[in-house]
Amino acid sequence: MSLYTDLQLDALRELANIGSGQAAASLSTLLGKPTDISVPTAAALPLADAVAIAGEPEEERHGILVPIIGDMSAAVVLLVPEEDAHTLCSVYGLDPHSEDGRSMLQEVGNILGTSYINVLAQMTGMDLEPAPPQVVHDMLGAILASVLIGRGEDIDVALVLDSNITVEGEACSMSFLLLPENGGVEDLLGRLGL
Amino acid sequence: MSVAALHQEHLARMGQQVASAQAGDVLACVGLGSCIGLALIDRRASVAGLAHIMLPSSPAAGQPNGKHADYAVPALLEEVLALGGARHRLDAVLVGGAAMFTFGGSTDGGGAQIGARNDEAVRTELQKLRVHVRAEATGGTRGRTMRVRVADGTVVFKEAGGAEVELFSNALPLRAAA
Repeated sequence: MSLYTDLQLDALRELANIGSGQAAASLSTLLGKPTDISVPTAAALPLADAVAIAGEPEEERHGILVPIIGDMSAAVVLLVPEEDAHTLCSVYGLDPHSEDGRSMLQEVGNILGTSYINVLAQMTGMDLEPAPPQVVHDMLGAILASVLIGRGEDIDVALVLDSNITVEGEACSMSFLLLPENGGVEDLLGRLGL
Repeated sequence: MSVAALHQEHLARMGQQVASAQAGDVLACVGLGSCIGLALIDRRASVAGLAHIMLPSSPAAGQPNGKHADYAVPALLEEVLALGGARHRLDAVLVGGAAMFTFGGSTDGGGAQIGARNDEAVRTELQKLRVHVRAEATGGTRGRTMRVRVADGTVVFKEAGGAEVELFSNALPLRAAA
């Protein structure tokens, strides 16, 4: 089941670390508040486990999908629990379930996703571009399963790069995932000389 | 028998199937997005099976398995029959197949969304096996959770943020044998 070597996973984790660090810095600028990131995990997981990585599959989340296109197909997914979404949106006096609140979440996804993949692109020399973000409020399991196999890709194992961004001084944190398509991971590692 | 054992929930995770002839059991698919939860139910015999199907058809190469409709549907039928279900009494209930996201410019080549393709593939397989679809909650853009009560074949589902809805009830008349 081990698709990747420890060295490769270390390298991917470091990519996630730098990428999510940049994303957290962008969020900090957007909110005018300091942010913090957890040490990312990088793991190749059976699909059912990948879907469960961010919590119970039936728990609801605001999910922001930023599809990545270019030299590698991937998806950046932000998962924000209900209360945290309220905290996030309240910075601008918005409700996450309103049209404007959804726009704000979309913009958060856009800014975080873009800064993350800019780092990836710089480090790997790949040409990567974000597609417009899509916002849903739904069950965690349904969100992640739909992202992982939504393109109809026939996979057994998914590579998940997962970190947590916290807004300091606020009860606000979110999961931040990078989910490359299978072929993309080989390319990514190839660019890193691994 | 303990109380817990009387109400045991069996979860069909992605690509898996569960089946039971134990009256106290509940079968469940949690967080269905583009996947399809297919229930095959024999209400008279109190037998039910549930498959969590992810993709329409098996690849040309590789081991066929429960992820794919063309393998999963006959496999589930076989398991339900083995537990004492009778083919002519089976009711099929489908939940899932939503399109929560659109993936522009990707490998889906602008074709039908995977949720809709899953739905169609499961129906095609059921037709081949002459099992009727008696209730469905498919398509749309929301994720769903479904539960099947083995004792009476009741199927309920719920969408994110919504209330539980009874989709298939034991109040329906049993079908006459074909």
